[in-house]
Amino acid sequence: MLTFDVLVIGSGGSGMRAALEAGRQEGLAVGLMTKMFPTRSATGMAQGGINGVVKNADPNDTLEKHFFDTVKGSDYLGDQDAIEYFVSQSPESILEIDYLGVPFSRDGEGRISQRNFGGQSSPRTCYSADKTGHALLHTMYEQCLKAGVKILSDWQLLDIVTENGQLQGVVALSVKDGEIVPVMAKSIVIATGGAGRMYWLRTTNPFTSTGDGMAAAFRAGIPLKDPEMIQFHPTGLASTGILMSEAVRGEGGYLLNKDGERFMKRYAPEKMELATRDVVAKAIEDEIKEGRGFGEGMNAYVVVDITHLDKNVILEKLHGIRDLAIAFERVDPLEKPIPIRPTCHYTMGGIDVIDHRTCATAVRGVFAAGEASCLSIHGANRLGGNSLADIMVFGKVAGRGASQCAREREFSGEGNLVKAAAAWQDKFQKAVARKNGSTVPSIRDRMAEIMWYNVGIFRNAADLEKASQVIDGLIAEYQDCVIGDSSKLFNTAFVNYIEVGNMLTMAKAVVMGAMHRNESRGCHLRDDYPKRDDESFLKHTIVALEGSEYKLTYRPVVVTKYQPAERRY
Amino acid sequence: MSQITYKVSRFDGEKSYTQEYSFDHQPGKTILWGLIKIKEELDPTLTFTAACRSAVCGACSVRVNGQAMLACETPLDDVIRRFGAVLTVEPLGNFTVIRDLVIDWAPKAERLADSRVWLIPKDEFSAETGCRQKAADFKKIDVQAGCILCGSCASECNKLSANNKDFLEPFTYAKVWKFVADTRDKADGERIKAILDKGLWKCLHCVECTTQCPKGLSPGDDIARLRQTSIKMGYRDNHGARHAFAFLKDIEDTGRLNEMKLSLRSDGIIGSMRKFPLALRLLRRGKLNPFHFPGKVKGHDQIKTILKAVRESEK
Repeated sequence: MLTFDVLVIGSGGSGMRAALEAGRQEGLAVGLMTKMFPTRSATGMAQGGINGVVKNADPNDTLEKHFFDTVKGSDYLGDQDAIEYFVSQSPESILEIDYLGVPFSRDGEGRISQRNFGGQSSPRTCYSADKTGHALLHTMYEQCLKAGVKILSDWQLLDIVTENGQLQGVVALSVKDGEIVPVMAKSIVIATGGAGRMYWLRTTNPFTSTGDGMAAAFRAGIPLKDPEMIQFHPTGLASTGILMSEAVRGEGGYLLNKDGERFMKRYAPEKMELATRDVVAKAIEDEIKEGRGFGEGMNAYVVVDITHLDKNVILEKLHGIRDLAIAFERVDPLEKPIPIRPTCHYTMGGIDVIDHRTCATAVRGVFAAGEASCLSIHGANRLGGNSLADIMVFGKVAGRGASQCAREREFSGEGNLVKAAAAWQDKFQKAVARKNGSTVPSIRDRMAEIMWYNVGIFRNAADLEKASQVIDGLIAEYQDCVIGDSSKLFNTAFVNYIEVGNMLTMAKAVVMGAMHRNESRGCHLRDDYPKRDDESFLKHTIVALEGSEYKLTYRPVVVTKYQPAERRY
Repeated sequence: MSQITYKVSRFDGEKSYTQEYSFDHQPGKTILWGLIKIKEELDPTLTFTAACRSAVCGACSVRVNGQAMLACETPLDDVIRRFGAVLTVEPLGNFTVIRDLVIDWAPKAERLADSRVWLIPKDEFSAETGCRQKAADFKKIDVQAGCILCGSCASECNKLSANNKDFLEPFTYAKVWKFVADTRDKADGERIKAILDKGLWKCLHCVECTTQCPKGLSPGDDIARLRQTSIKMGYRDNHGARHAFAFLKDIEDTGRLNEMKLSLRSDGIIGSMRKFPLALRLLRRGKLNPFHFPGKVKGHDQIKTILKAVRESEK
């Protein structure tokens, strides 16, 4: 049987960082499993930068300020012990990846350049032009090649297998040859990224952000935390939802409605365009609702204007997003404002991590990091630039935590693993043989539609109730759906089937969390409960699977220093 | 509404064949949109890969009418205008095909790793303090850092198509140059030494790699930069460098190339003798005259002046 001491699943920034850290430990067999080739990951699509108090642009910046900005940004839903630890680790993580080779933009003294970003009291977002995630991802890949990390490319995670609340390993599909195999491991790190593709129609996420690790962990008995917290990025290209970096605002871009008015003055008079993402996204949707957007309905939009910026700033610091605007919106930002509208961007919620110093979960042997995880440091709204910092800090923490665990544990048998693999082989045969039923894309599209319209930026009880029924109906339909390809060779139709199943699992949890959170906080905006309600909801939603039932409970937010206060920008 | 036809190269692990799919044209769509439409509406067995759909992940590179491109960013309307409404869609060249349009990156990753494409930082830096680099020096590596490993350059590389045993994928040379040019790196010497044995002088200068790169890199130029650096480091006693110098000397001496002298200088007498059969064939066709020693070209002085100016500028 394929066996690893530490198996990392997912090859974005957090996964590769975890694998590198585990690989540094003597005598551990480390594997990195990924459903495509490592550099195809969502991390590569991050543009604007990585936050850390390295004090290059502002010598007066402090950890305390980054701590508070993040707490306030999270609308007080972030756990303050985790956030404090996070901001304290971030600067050294950034210096370390500089040393590992990330090509950062530089200031006049040769130090890493930093720019302004939304919701921050200092310019502390370190960057590599406007392709920071790409630079970081490729550097991590280079380091994995250097370290000789055993990479299993084109392997799809199917299930996490446990026995008596302890990890045994995983069952995975080797996509290249169609073999479904058990993999034994003493510890695993789930670093499979987010589930933004639940909103298939409008998201910045790659096709691969389908919540595979979150759903597998959930099935293995690990709860999901705050699943309803879905970030909508304010500046997605109008026609495709492709990301226009927050750097367009950070470098001084204006948001304008159809009257040419900088409407942010009504919503965040101080910070204007540099308010947090939840505030800006809501403002844009409010403008559109009140008829001050361009176009109508699903095609409505506002614009972000950078034509007043120095041409060299655009050509040097924003050339990537300029290319995207030209390729996908047919607009050259040097000459014309860019049509934009909010687009699903990030899942703040995720696998319930119970110890931020190890990234451990409730199941012994299972660790989680990055967007797949929820510590929670992002709470109800993540700050731009905090996700790349998150994956570098907690990728390392998880790699170390999983290594430590692997040293302490023995392999815990293979009985359930063999059984689970056989069950999946059987499931594959039956699923690919079905001839009558809905197709996988048709189920996916109806899920995305109900998620966008009923569980999108604005939510209310009636819409959520309807969404809940539709998702349940789709889950039932999914059991008999048609895949249409029975080949064992690189069967992407079967992979898509697995992914849609995982997204439905996640969507049900998102709707459930949203239905019960009768308040508006961060990105979670309830028309019927427009105010934040700290008395009832200063707590994390915890959704767990008991038998086949989703059970919802709450857990208090960790407040160490900052009592919730009104949030103004 | 007009129809588009994709003629797709298919491979099921055993047999290869071409399958045609026709569907209604919609303005403003991409090559990838067409592939997705086929998979979701016409034939779920059609197999390809795609992830970011915004030209930064490199997963969806395919060959359309013989040109490598990112399916996600290439507008169908442009391609139709150029080639007509019938498009040939194939997997990238110079890769092993797994199924349909899906290619195998594993062997390429091994070759990348063999070329030590990671930063080997100077001793003055540390993991605790990070590095220092001038803003201008960052700009020297910014373009190469934009490589997304899509494989387009390798697909169209004529040298790789002819023989991939003594040459690497063009993106590998671009990556090696990135580290040689990176002022944080201390291992320029060993990088250059290693790459000399990995085909540095084998590039045919067809520049297809540059033409095909969707991210504005120019691996061909990076190969030239690596060559120049190798000469500056003193690696002159190899076939490629000798050939370059022989070329230069001919131009300097007479203003024109003498193929026979070129061969003697690059390959030596014994090496040149191996080319005897080729020389005989050339003789037979009247393309080689061993008794012809042309004099200097007209304006030879000006050539010398130009070379002098170039040498001055390089000081």
